[in-house]
Amino acid sequence: MRRIFLKSAAAAALAITTIGFGSTASADEVGDFYKGNVIKWIVPYDPGGGYDKYSRLIIPYFEKHTGARVDIVNLPGSGGMKGAVEIFNSPSDGLTVGIINGSAMVTNQLAEIEGANYKVGDYNFLGRIVADKRVMVASTLSGINSYEDLIDNGKAEIIGATGLGGSTYVDAVIVGDVLNIEQRVVHGFDRSGDIRTAMLRGDVQAMWGSLGSALGGIEDGDHKVILHGEKNPTGVLVGIPSIYDIAMGMEDGARKVTILESWEALSAVGRPVAAPPGVSEDRLTFLRNAFDQAMNDPEFLAAAKKGKRELSFASGLDMSKIAKAATVLEADVEALFVKAIRGEI
Amino acid sequence: MTIFEGMASGLLQSTSLTVFPYLFVGSLFGLIIGIIPGLSGHFAMAMAVTFLYTMEPATGIAFILAAHATVAQGGGLTAILFSTPGTGQNAATLLDGPPMRDKGQAGIAVGAAMASCFLGATFGAAVLALLIPVLREVVLFFGPPEVFFLAFLALTFVAVLGKEDMTRSLIAALLGMLLAMVGVDNVTNTFRFTLGSDHLADGLQLVPVILGLFAVAEMIDLWVRGGTLAKEVPQALSAKETQRQIFTGIGLAFKNWWLVLRCSAIGTGMGLIPGLGSAPAAFVAYGHAKQSSKNKETFGKGNVEGVIGPEAANDAVEGGALASTLAFGIPGSSSMAILLSGLFILGLDTGPRMLTQNVDIVFVMIFTIIFGNLIGTIFGMFLVNPLSRATSIRASVMVPVLMSVIATGAYAGDRAIFHIGVAIVFGILGYGMKVLNYSRAALLIGFVLGFAVEKNLYLALLLDGPLFVLQPIPLGLLVTTIVFLGWNIFTIYRDRTKVIPK
Repeated sequence: MRRIFLKSAAAAALAITTIGFGSTASADEVGDFYKGNVIKWIVPYDPGGGYDKYSRLIIPYFEKHTGARVDIVNLPGSGGMKGAVEIFNSPSDGLTVGIINGSAMVTNQLAEIEGANYKVGDYNFLGRIVADKRVMVASTLSGINSYEDLIDNGKAEIIGATGLGGSTYVDAVIVGDVLNIEQRVVHGFDRSGDIRTAMLRGDVQAMWGSLGSALGGIEDGDHKVILHGEKNPTGVLVGIPSIYDIAMGMEDGARKVTILESWEALSAVGRPVAAPPGVSEDRLTFLRNAFDQAMNDPEFLAAAKKGKRELSFASGLDMSKIAKAATVLEADVEALFVKAIRGEI
Repeated sequence: MTIFEGMASGLLQSTSLTVFPYLFVGSLFGLIIGIIPGLSGHFAMAMAVTFLYTMEPATGIAFILAAHATVAQGGGLTAILFSTPGTGQNAATLLDGPPMRDKGQAGIAVGAAMASCFLGATFGAAVLALLIPVLREVVLFFGPPEVFFLAFLALTFVAVLGKEDMTRSLIAALLGMLLAMVGVDNVTNTFRFTLGSDHLADGLQLVPVILGLFAVAEMIDLWVRGGTLAKEVPQALSAKETQRQIFTGIGLAFKNWWLVLRCSAIGTGMGLIPGLGSAPAAFVAYGHAKQSSKNKETFGKGNVEGVIGPEAANDAVEGGALASTLAFGIPGSSSMAILLSGLFILGLDTGPRMLTQNVDIVFVMIFTIIFGNLIGTIFGMFLVNPLSRATSIRASVMVPVLMSVIATGAYAGDRAIFHIGVAIVFGILGYGMKVLNYSRAALLIGFVLGFAVEKNLYLALLLDGPLFVLQPIPLGLLVTTIVFLGWNIFTIYRDRTKVIPK
């Protein structure tokens, strides 16, 4: 009985909202709606992680350009899926948004992992904050100074990874499989920081990860990049072999490059900010514009530089295309990815 | 900058007028967060991080770290007075703190706890300072095989933990380990004991489990027997008597300086090991205090040494945890991850660069821990009097009020109503264990260490194969564990044979 009452109340509220702020609402009206209102910003991980840091960095500027107050809500669980599902199922009033781990959400959706009750392609993306550049780093103590060392030393090197289906694991398995790298992937580390400690102890020799999180260790001389997934490398990656160059030089190179491009598409989804499906066009446009302005706000750019946070903005519309490209794969490539995610390779 | 220049600069900065007020406010903020059950140090820090954007490095560090440093003190206060640990690491204080309150010695317990916190924190901070030159080598000492055996050694401490018998303690510890298995296994992605519930897929969270086992169970007990929290005290202590007791308590902490020192060393040592966390450190310190005491039989019945040990270890942990975080820029706990994000916001580098280029900031941290705890101790004492009066309020008023505070605490961490349910279920389990004389502390330590034991065993087997037990350090730890357990079984057997002829 109570549930029926709640449902009718929700329906009534929705009807009132639709009438009040229907398609006739002008940009000013949408601006007035957000001014002084509260937007819930979901972070699907614990405070202190990368997603939390990026969110806390951008939120003051998002507040500035929407006029709304933005409340951060950390909803960790199921490797980021709990928060992603929460965003997906939130009311479509444009007052709930959140940052998601795009690549992991795509892989979980592809592998039909239990709890992946969302469709990445159906989110209303406001835009992307960053997409990680993926690199393989080897410990400087391991004696592996280059990709040649990795493949020529005649034994299977130990690559550290976090849980099954995590990006450190999927990267290692897929690239290893495509490039025929002789390796043993040891997964089960709690976080990528634990793998770095294990590299310093000599327990594992190398790992995959984002360039951003590897930079500190590179400066300290703890590890060095030996392989990366960029077609046009810049900065510290110049002069280091790309997986594409290596794949092209191998037998069946074109096929290998196709697989690697699909893998790169996963990384390109990166860390987008998304609203649930069904948000009205005018509010979505307003939110996208505000996010665009926040990401390009000179003060924000300075704060990100000071905090050494990499950025690679993509607009909401571009993000929708990127997400759709990542979820539509050739059948055999998809089969390979699903096997990798499930730990069957 | 040399270490001594860094030390002088750190001291000057942390006592300067631009930094100290923030340190002061941070300490009080942490103390209050600690008093609220369910809200932990990492919550205090996450709240504090939002203020950092406009601050200078030393100011920001002092603010955020002071907020973290005093949480355990606030938590100890409520553990003793209301049997409700403010944070996970105060759970060990429940073994002897509330029994002291029941005997009308709440002031002594709190005084001893506060002073031990301060001394422990100072010890941990001093060790951090001394370790700076060799920090990286020390932290790298502990890999999966070492951590597995250390966790196992800590588990055997459950055998001597409570006043309950060893068989029941081991049963409780194993049940705790079994409960740690609930959720999706990180290694195989298998769902274990989740009963089809999405909530259980993430495993049981520590805060609602602790609140249930101890706080809710205590409320059920209080409701069933009626009366007041402080059992044998007909009236609230007078303000003057409370003050007198507090100073006696502080005196006792200093009098037991050797115990404080040893338990602080246990805390700092366990803090250095990434992934063990602070709750086991307090329990191991309790086990050690009991083992080495002349009055073993009074432990669990209100022995002040049972308060001093865990509270000293509690705060000494921070120095150790900070060391491993600073040495590599790799956080060992969620609190340290937040601290690290705070350092990034302030534009500071961690890792070896911090130890060479920003050694003054390291000392700002060290002095913040010391001063923050001193401030927490002083203000904590002012809170004792009003809070202790509440322990004489009758059950029919007290239970509903505290239950709503506990429910809020269980809900607050993840904003999940499910966790209130978890707290209630564990409350019933805890009450049953209390009645049947099973050690709740043993269950908790099994639960906390279950994760560390399983994960490190898996990694050790994958990395080094089954023969990892034969490496020198793991082998040494294994032998220590067997000797420790063997000695305890022997003394129990010996004591039994002594008693029977009577």
